[in-house]
Amino acid sequence: MNENPLDLLPELLVLGGAVIGLLAGSFLPRDRRRAVAWICGAALAGGTAAAVAAAARPGGTVFGAYAIDPLTHVARVTVMLATLAVVVLAAGRARGHPREAEEHVLLLLAALGAVVLAAADDLLVLVAAYLLASIPAYALAGIAGDARGTEAALKYYLMGAFLGVLMLAGVTLLYGLAGSTAYPVLGGRLPAASGAAVACGVVALLAGVLFKVGGVPAHFWVPDVAEGAPAVAAAFVTTVPKVGGFVALARMAGEFLAASPVDWRLLAALVAAATMTLGNLAAFFQDNVRRLLGYSTVSQAGYLLLPVVAAGRGGLAEPALLFYVAAYAVTNLGAFAVAVAVGRDSLDDHAGLARRAPGVAVALAVCLLGFVGTPPTAVFAGKVLAFTAAWDAGYAWLAVVAAVNTVASVFYYLRWIAPAFRPGEAAVRIRSRTAARVACGAAAISVLLGVASGLLLPGLSRGAPP
Amino acid sequence: MPGVNALAWALPALPGACGALLSVTGRRGDRVAPAAALAVTAATLALAVTAAVTRPRASVALFAGLRAELAVDGLSAVLVITVSAVALAVLVFAAGEIHEARARFFGLMLLFVGAMLATVTATGLAPLLMAWEVMGAMSYALIGFWWRDGDRVRSATVAFVTTRAGDLGLYLAAGCALAGTGTLDLAGLAAAPRPWRDLVAAGIVTAALGKSAQLPFSFWLSRAMAGPTPVSALLHSATMVAAGAYLLLRVQPLLAATGWAATLAAWIGALTALLLGAVALAQRDLKQLLAASTCAQVGFMVLAAGVSAVAGGTAHLVAHAAVKNLLFMGAGAWLSALGTKDLAELHGAARRHRLVGVTFGVGALALAGLPPLSLWVTKDAVLSTVAERSAALHVVALAAAFLAAAYAARAGFAVWSPRDDATRDDTERSGTRRVGLLAGLPMPPMAFVAAVAGVVGVPVVFTAWRALLGTGPEPGPEGGGLLLSGALAVAAALAVRGRRLAAPRTLAGWLYLERGAVAVVWRPVTSLARALARFDDRVLDGAVRGVSRAVTVLAGWSRRGDETGVDGAVRGLAAGAARLGALLRRPQTGQVHTYFAQAAVVLVLLALVIVLVR
Repeated sequence: MNENPLDLLPELLVLGGAVIGLLAGSFLPRDRRRAVAWICGAALAGGTAAAVAAAARPGGTVFGAYAIDPLTHVARVTVMLATLAVVVLAAGRARGHPREAEEHVLLLLAALGAVVLAAADDLLVLVAAYLLASIPAYALAGIAGDARGTEAALKYYLMGAFLGVLMLAGVTLLYGLAGSTAYPVLGGRLPAASGAAVACGVVALLAGVLFKVGGVPAHFWVPDVAEGAPAVAAAFVTTVPKVGGFVALARMAGEFLAASPVDWRLLAALVAAATMTLGNLAAFFQDNVRRLLGYSTVSQAGYLLLPVVAAGRGGLAEPALLFYVAAYAVTNLGAFAVAVAVGRDSLDDHAGLARRAPGVAVALAVCLLGFVGTPPTAVFAGKVLAFTAAWDAGYAWLAVVAAVNTVASVFYYLRWIAPAFRPGEAAVRIRSRTAARVACGAAAISVLLGVASGLLLPGLSRGAPP
Repeated sequence: MPGVNALAWALPALPGACGALLSVTGRRGDRVAPAAALAVTAATLALAVTAAVTRPRASVALFAGLRAELAVDGLSAVLVITVSAVALAVLVFAAGEIHEARARFFGLMLLFVGAMLATVTATGLAPLLMAWEVMGAMSYALIGFWWRDGDRVRSATVAFVTTRAGDLGLYLAAGCALAGTGTLDLAGLAAAPRPWRDLVAAGIVTAALGKSAQLPFSFWLSRAMAGPTPVSALLHSATMVAAGAYLLLRVQPLLAATGWAATLAAWIGALTALLLGAVALAQRDLKQLLAASTCAQVGFMVLAAGVSAVAGGTAHLVAHAAVKNLLFMGAGAWLSALGTKDLAELHGAARRHRLVGVTFGVGALALAGLPPLSLWVTKDAVLSTVAERSAALHVVALAAAFLAAAYAARAGFAVWSPRDDATRDDTERSGTRRVGLLAGLPMPPMAFVAAVAGVVGVPVVFTAWRALLGTGPEPGPEGGGLLLSGALAVAAALAVRGRRLAAPRTLAGWLYLERGAVAVVWRPVTSLARALARFDDRVLDGAVRGVSRAVTVLAGWSRRGDETGVDGAVRGLAAGAARLGALLRRPQTGQVHTYFAQAAVVLVLLALVIVLVR
């Protein structure tokens, strides 16, 4: 068994950054806590570099419960870069904030949880990662200490606790059926277990993961948190944990769910269809941009479930999920960065954005049209791959539902773009230059990723396990 | 020798380019136009002489598989010198006569000359056709030179449309030549297979008859008198009408090859010489007389082409160019000096302006065919061949020669008769009472040529002339023929002396050819056009309008269908989606216990579904 701690270097760097940041934050005077942001940023950058370096080495399982494979590599890089962007966003806004240091540390810890979630090869590690990814996020949601943030944090926590309990019950049930919590062992023993029991265990397990990715029926927290929590925290909790959750889901699907006696694909397909449809339709008449983005992330979670449905059938599912998840992270961060930059949540408050800040308006258009799936943005490539994977896996109806949903989603994205580009009085004002820059950068990366998708995909496919 | 071959391009290009330049300078060029034009024409004459000696040949690819070639052979050499020399004489005369819009006038004249030079040097139908068209357009612009006068412009239009109608034949010929021989070479036309050969011949003959104002196209030449006198002098002698005769002489092998075309040309030429001779005799207006005489004299050239008397026909063309140029210059000089061109009113004119009188007298005597002047000999060079071919044709031609002597003598007697009570001045315009130096300058040399060009009839010279032109054997002027035609000419001249002619209306009105053309061609064509226009308006347009109306009605229907059907469906779908959206926000109560309940219920349902469908 490989127990080399250096294989966990990226995670250790992030953990170290969080610990040092916490200590530094405790001892530094308030006006010099900007250093914590630098420490955390450095830790994330170092972790990213280590993850990239690790991607070049042969993978495997470490400590018998932690997989080092392309799924993990992509999850590490995506999570860390996304968190870095959120740290930048937070640093641009939180100067002099009384909990500035804590905020950065919590971001790092939640990100670490997301990475572990993605890499977990054992249900117990998965549960631990679930808690690590969730608890700092609850605190993040309520870090502002205001009434709305507190309410959002409480709802977030209560939903997480409820679904986490269900998840623990599912894990217990599966352990009871298979005698082990390791994915490979589950994959070997579950086929022989009682179907109804496995079904109950799988659904309960799924409840927790769906909470992390914001899928139906565990999505209730998403709009509330997106609207009520501080914008930076909302950007984080609707982006980073999802990356970990989806990769975890794909890993479980590939290693034991697909082999279990239950019709796992149908279950995932039903959840996917419900998630995307509900997210889209509920977003239709939202006037609050963050709430609109919250529902948008729900619908995107539905699309992201398509490659999960197709997991193990055809070679396209895994690269599709990895590419889409990275594209989603970039685009979602870009859209939230615009909301942070403008600092106002009503759609009407974005009127005249194109006149006041053309760059930000263009970034907004690129990100929202990217969500729709407009070429040449990254999400377009991701959507094409995901739809193709679902079609190839025999779920043509699901691909059709997803396509119809995509068409319907144009409506509410345009409801945000249109006032931004309508000529007239520009009441809008850019409140955070840093956020504006992050938005433009994210939009640029989104287009670059989309254009370069042809170059990146062979790398994702080649690295995929057989 | 590229230098020599470039000459073939330079010859028409020099007057053409300079003319185009001059004609667009507008009033700014008026001052320098005559001098420039004279210099260019003198240079062109020098080029023509050089070309006649060096015989350049140059070609360029025009279209795929088609070359445009200009070359100077024997016939072309004679014609380029004739054209350039006559043009020089006319432009010198014009420099003294034309005092308005000089840049435009001299520019157009130079273009006219350039087009004629290109016509006579073209070896294929393609460049010939281009030059031919430019010449036609220039004739229009020059006849209508005084464009503020609507009548003159109408005359120009008649002349242009008539010649243009004939020109269609040349397009037919070009198309058929391409179909029959694969090239447009004039030299190869005779070898074209039937029926292409016949079609080519028919087209060329039509075009040539139109350009040369032969029957039945003659009336346009009467209309062409509306232009300034120098234009007439040029148009009647060395360009335009000469172009038709030249073309027929050039394609004489083709005419001979078809048989019928040669006979047709011969008879039309002879009949034109006869009938237009009679018309000329009946004219009271000097310029109209000269115009009709041009038709008649060109008739002899067409006749020559028909009977294969190319050497004689060419000699007649050259001599006639000098004579007719001279006569028009005289008539024009008197018109500006005395303000009239009526034959009766011109009584005594020759005695008032001696230089013009003497030279005009020489020209008139030459035109009459009196021995020993030029046209006596050259006409007989044609007639001697005609005599060999057909007795009937010969009789007609002799009658035409008699008439020629009569009308020419009539013009000569009119101007040389003493002043009498018929003499009037300034009936047409106010005269200047003087003939300028420039106007008089070219007359003596032209008179000299008109007098002595008959030397071509000397057997030794005629043989050399035939060798120069490269034509087959021709009898040339013969003693008996010369005596007969000389006697006829003298008799005719004596017959008209002092006699007042009661001209029948038919002849004075140019045989009502224009009226005939209007009745036979113009009216039917315009009524057909009107009928077609009505058909177009009522039937075709009506159909289009009907379709558009039907489409509008149909569009109305389909719009109704669309609004209630498709649009309604879309609106319904949107409304349904909106209602669904509102419905799907209902679960988002904001209350955690309802969240818990819903999540639990959905999870249980999912578990049930999975268990049941397993």
